Amino acid sequence: MTPRSHGLALGIVVVALAALALGYHNAFVLNLVFVGLIYAVLGQSWNWISGYAGQISFGHALFFGCGAYASALFGVHHGSPWLALPAGALVAAALALAVGFPCFGLRGHYFSIATIAVAAIAEIAVNNIGALGKANGFEMPILAPSLASLQFDDKGQYVLMALVLFAIAQIGTITLERSRLGYYLRAIRANQEAAASVGVDARAAKLATFAAGAALAALAGSLYAQQTLYVGPEDTLALPISIAIALVGVVGGLSTVWGPALGALVYVALARYGGAVLGGQGHGLDLLLYGGLILVIVSWRPDGLAGIGGSIRRFVRRRSAETPA
Amino acid sequence: MNAAAPFLEVRGLSKRFGSLRALDGINLDVPHGGLTALIGPNGAGKTTAFNCISGALRPSEGSIRFEGHEIAGAPYHRVARLGVVRTYQVVQPFAEMTVLDAVTVGALLHHPRVSEARAFAGETIEALGLGSKRDTIARSLTIADKKRLELARALATEPQLLLLDEVMAGLTPTECAAAVELLRGLVAREITIVMVEHVMEVLMPLADHVVVLATGKIIFDGKPRDAVNDPAVIDAYLGRP
Repeated sequence: MTPRSHGLALGIVVVALAALALGYHNAFVLNLVFVGLIYAVLGQSWNWISGYAGQISFGHALFFGCGAYASALFGVHHGSPWLALPAGALVAAALALAVGFPCFGLRGHYFSIATIAVAAIAEIAVNNIGALGKANGFEMPILAPSLASLQFDDKGQYVLMALVLFAIAQIGTITLERSRLGYYLRAIRANQEAAASVGVDARAAKLATFAAGAALAALAGSLYAQQTLYVGPEDTLALPISIAIALVGVVGGLSTVWGPALGALVYVALARYGGAVLGGQGHGLDLLLYGGLILVIVSWRPDGLAGIGGSIRRFVRRRSAETPA
Repeated sequence: MNAAAPFLEVRGLSKRFGSLRALDGINLDVPHGGLTALIGPNGAGKTTAFNCISGALRPSEGSIRFEGHEIAGAPYHRVARLGVVRTYQVVQPFAEMTVLDAVTVGALLHHPRVSEARAFAGETIEALGLGSKRDTIARSLTIADKKRLELARALATEPQLLLLDEVMAGLTPTECAAAVELLRGLVAREITIVMVEHVMEVLMPLADHVVVLATGKIIFDGKPRDAVNDPAVIDAYLGRP
């Protein structure tokens, strides 16, 4: 797809969801849309480092948590949530640089292991530090709904905020694909040594990508906290969150503009909606369904749902090319 | 840049792999302009020398100065930025990228704007006769075209010193003749070339300067016509007629 057709697709999605947010007042559905958009953004931030840069992160909840805790701390200490957004993003980017710097000089799976370890350390630390609320987390104070307090009485307003963040993530990805950094990441993924031989600084490229993605994940975390008004380690920092983010990226299709959004759609449909319908029976059927789908996709279509779209496009093109004029 | 400094000056360069001395204290001067041939039997250390000079490997000892900059042990990408770029004996394409995209990666070194880099990469591809394959995925090219792509990617960085590791191996005589013309063109553009090659009849008329390596040591450094008559070179590499 060209940048123009990506832009057109993004425009259609944004307008459709904005119309839904403003016109359809079903709190359950709007909550699913909100969570879906948050996961689409998280999946995209994961896709930057793990898809485009090829460095699999299993600790992305750390950055989501940075944003959520920034919102919580600014909330309970009566700071503006608009300051929490950049604060969380900066802390997340700094952590990404600290984790990435020693790892990106190494080959192999050190980075993946380090991301698990650092996220686990952060979770344990939060569970034991009083100023970070320990295991109880934070109940954020409820403020008068307004754009300034970033609290709303209508779910649709949160969807609109998430939609803005989603658009930023998508435009960032479309730009990345066409940028110097985008070329460098593809070259590094194909052959890091050959890339270095023509002047590509692989470590700098990966660090920049990782830090930017971490900041994006933190923004999603802040927004998520503004909506739930509760932040605890279980919901923001725990390993299952990291795994869910990675699965959203894998299911949708690595290194594609729309893969994370498709993955988030599947995640919300199965894990959240399916969980609401099936999970209540206490059999964990939703998890079984979700896990089964991942097995099918990984063994049958490793390039994810977006890859299926590409195959269909190629098939249609071939068919129309064979049709005599 | 120091005008008085030699272009490439290698002093006491050694590289050990465990107990193996792949390079054993070599001294080498490459003047600006022209083509230097680096020859020698298999295992002599030619590719190791390229790896050390280009920054792919950290030398065990010694100094490598390029236009006065010490580059021994410098990061690979930084050496490339200074203008020393190599090709690989075993081609290392960006397998999933198209020819144009792969060459654009090289062109981005000195053309940070993607549109300009793509335009420059397009010109480079045309000049190397790969124009009709610009949208072909690198993996599906023939070996000759992969070598051409390797050269195009290196040239797109606008190097001052180009290290070519057996770019002609595996090419047909016609392809070799085309490659020779290409190399003459590069020398005319004042790109200094050091090349490792085994095809003597191609190399000798092309080279201004011949360096012979054997078991990690330089055994000859001089004019091509003197190399073919040098007893040590004949014993170590060329063989008696």
